Amino acid sequence: MAERETLEVDILIVGGGPAGMSAALRLAQLQKERGGEPLAIAVLEKAREAGAHMLSGAVLDPSALHDLVPDFTEKGAPLAIDVRRDDIYFLTRAAKLRLPITPPFFRNHGNYIISLNRFVKWLAGLVEAEGIDIFTGFPATEVLYEPSTGSGQAGAVVGVRTGDRGIDRHGRKKSTFEPGVDIRARVTIFADGVRGNLTKALVRRLGLDEGKSPAVYALGIKELWEVPAGRTEAGRVVHTMGYPLKMEEFGGGFMYALPDNLVAVGLVAGLDYRDPMFDPHVAFQHLKRHPVIASVLEGGTLVRYGAKALPEGGWYTIPKLYAPGALIAGDAAGFMNSARLKGIHLAMRTGMLAAETAFDAVRHGDLSDTALKAYDDRVNASAVRTELYPVRNVHQAFGYGTIFGAAFTGLSLVTGGGWLKDPMPAHGGWTRIRKLAEYYKDARPDPESTVNPVKIDRQLTFDRVTGVHYSGTRHPEDQPSHLIVHDASVCATRCREEYGNPCIRFCPANVYEMIDAGDGTRKLQINASNCVHCKTCDIMDPYQIIDWVPPEGGGGPQYEGM
Amino acid sequence: MILVIAEQRDGRLNRASLETIAAAQSTGDTVRIAILGSGVDGVAGELGKADAAEVIVVDDPALKEYTADGWVLALEQLIAAEKPDRVFLAHTYQTRDFAPALAARLKRPLVTDCIAVTGGGYVRPMFQGKLQAEVAVGDAGAHLATFQIGAFRADQMKAGRAPIRRAAVAVDGSKIRQQPDAPFKEARQAVDLSQAERIVAVGRGIKGQEHIELAQKLAQAMGAELAASRPICDAGWLPMDRQIGSSGQTVAPKLYVALGISGAIQHLVGMKGSRTIVAVNKDGEAPIFEIADYGIVGDLFEVVPALIAALNG
Repeated sequence: MAERETLEVDILIVGGGPAGMSAALRLAQLQKERGGEPLAIAVLEKAREAGAHMLSGAVLDPSALHDLVPDFTEKGAPLAIDVRRDDIYFLTRAAKLRLPITPPFFRNHGNYIISLNRFVKWLAGLVEAEGIDIFTGFPATEVLYEPSTGSGQAGAVVGVRTGDRGIDRHGRKKSTFEPGVDIRARVTIFADGVRGNLTKALVRRLGLDEGKSPAVYALGIKELWEVPAGRTEAGRVVHTMGYPLKMEEFGGGFMYALPDNLVAVGLVAGLDYRDPMFDPHVAFQHLKRHPVIASVLEGGTLVRYGAKALPEGGWYTIPKLYAPGALIAGDAAGFMNSARLKGIHLAMRTGMLAAETAFDAVRHGDLSDTALKAYDDRVNASAVRTELYPVRNVHQAFGYGTIFGAAFTGLSLVTGGGWLKDPMPAHGGWTRIRKLAEYYKDARPDPESTVNPVKIDRQLTFDRVTGVHYSGTRHPEDQPSHLIVHDASVCATRCREEYGNPCIRFCPANVYEMIDAGDGTRKLQINASNCVHCKTCDIMDPYQIIDWVPPEGGGGPQYEGM
Repeated sequence: MILVIAEQRDGRLNRASLETIAAAQSTGDTVRIAILGSGVDGVAGELGKADAAEVIVVDDPALKEYTADGWVLALEQLIAAEKPDRVFLAHTYQTRDFAPALAARLKRPLVTDCIAVTGGGYVRPMFQGKLQAEVAVGDAGAHLATFQIGAFRADQMKAGRAPIRRAAVAVDGSKIRQQPDAPFKEARQAVDLSQAERIVAVGRGIKGQEHIELAQKLAQAMGAELAASRPICDAGWLPMDRQIGSSGQTVAPKLYVALGISGAIQHLVGMKGSRTIVAVNKDGEAPIFEIADYGIVGDLFEVVPALIAALNG
């Protein structure tokens, strides 16, 4: 049988998104500027190719890009178009009200509409041109720690282990079995994205979230459309509030017009909703049928579909960013500005700052907690804090309803974002979901029904399974489920009774189904190969018994152009 | 002249070879067909029913069982003697095994997995079928091309009478390095649905495992293979190798009968090339009816017994 291999590097970056790629590129720059013995650097990415799992709206604030790649225009950065117009609508079922002025947080002058997939692929090209290895198709599944008997600092992070390949659906080794590789590093930068599986494990083991507010997330569902010419003007950015979400639900819609008659349309829905029957995928279909959106999309064709969670909690939910041998950057740490709906520039910036800290630590041979704290100091002294601190209570304010949230966001501009209690008291998103009996009282709906159904016409509206097809998702079928439900006996009994199996609704990819068990009861079926890696189940399951772990390397969506 | 390398195993012709002959015929060029093996007169006779200039038989005891070395040794000589302008092969597992070595030996370009022949070259899918590339072979010399199964239809192969000739090719068995074992167990069990002319496929509408038998009876009455959409195989009611669709097999039979299949796009991509599609479904709005040639909106438990009775009657 194949032996487990070990690879030694100086700095390992886990996750090849905007944070990871920016960290890698910054390291290459530091090498050139400072000289000395070249450091061994590696980037691990679970997708088959760089950028394949990238999904965002996306409007890019180019501030970090200016600093990282000053000559980005000459280097051909794929910034599709600069934002030319901003509109915000408040929607009701049939009507729209355009806000007469665009609030400052929503002003996008100077920003660009991009495809994050293309942007990250471009960054990956720059990284590879610097001679840094990007190992695509290799998910990291475990954090490696220095044992107490080891030569280094006991408990320090010393790298990661990648996933085994060639295991069948029953957990048996196939003839193609290859054990994962141990990649040992002096500093590991965790940039594994929103609800990253390794950051989650690291934060729990080391208690990095102690004294922080609970993390809060949202789910973003996005489609890329090709629409008939003349429907909209490239560079136009539309945001919507209100319908199809209820006033108690956080979120809103977006529609970004790209060149070549391409339009990105999507819905962001807070994963802290109360209604156990809420179905974000159905809500998104309702949004597309609203005249504001439908008038643009009608007669067009769906090109791509995707979904991904977003960290919405803000400043107070960011965990301790460093531990011996480890740094956390980007979405993995929750660096997103939920008032401005932007995080790519923060991911890039924190990736760069993590790289600077890791570089110094390795050069000085000091990998202690104290040395790595320099990263925290850098973040605090940077534009990241200047931007995030004033809006530190914004998402939490929306927990008191859309009206309070919007009013508070506006007020933050004047007051500096404080509240009577600062941090404003908050709860984990999943704790807010109500039981059917509590929310619906005597009018309890059938869990298999849709409370607010939408007609699936296969022109403008599609079912989940069709969406999965348009996400380009592929996983080899003969492998263990990468969605681990620790106690599936809860599903048909307790969860069905209490919450009506919300997983069948919050999953945007039809991974979870409660199928007929043949004896009048239902049982859970996990269609793991549908999974688009959005992490919603890991976040929102009311019993917190679902763990998302990476599937065999290379599996997942193919977000070309998203 | 185009030389088509046909494929057989244990004296049974691979239907994909007929598709490749159809591809060669579509160019209007002279077509010759080669068949390799030992004691393959039966297959040669079958190939002789195609409209081609000749069928060339390379019969040698060293070719009794397939080996990459044996095939490369034989074809290298055959191609040197016949001097075809192009060599066409079906993109089968066997072809994938030896064609790259053959092309390297001949120092000729190899274009793989083509779906069409154009005036200037070939069309082949890229990026999981999202894009199609037109490929032209740089110099005008001879080259090899392989064709995706299902890209051409076997029933479009023009029939005729081709004389059969034995080629003067001898294979030195001592130069064959591989020793074939019995085929893999999986390979023995696996059903190659792409070879079926008629398919009866069942979906969720079949409701329970105990009803699979009903579909099986219809398949028997029609002389069809039984297949299924994904939920049926996920539930273990039929083995995975009978699954049609993006995570199963891609088929293009003459007749495809879909029973209780709603027509999720993942299923449609695996069977939309079928020549005639018949759908039975209770839901008249089911997307399967958008691509069906004949649709019956009704209960399959009423329709199927009636079909069986009519076929057996």
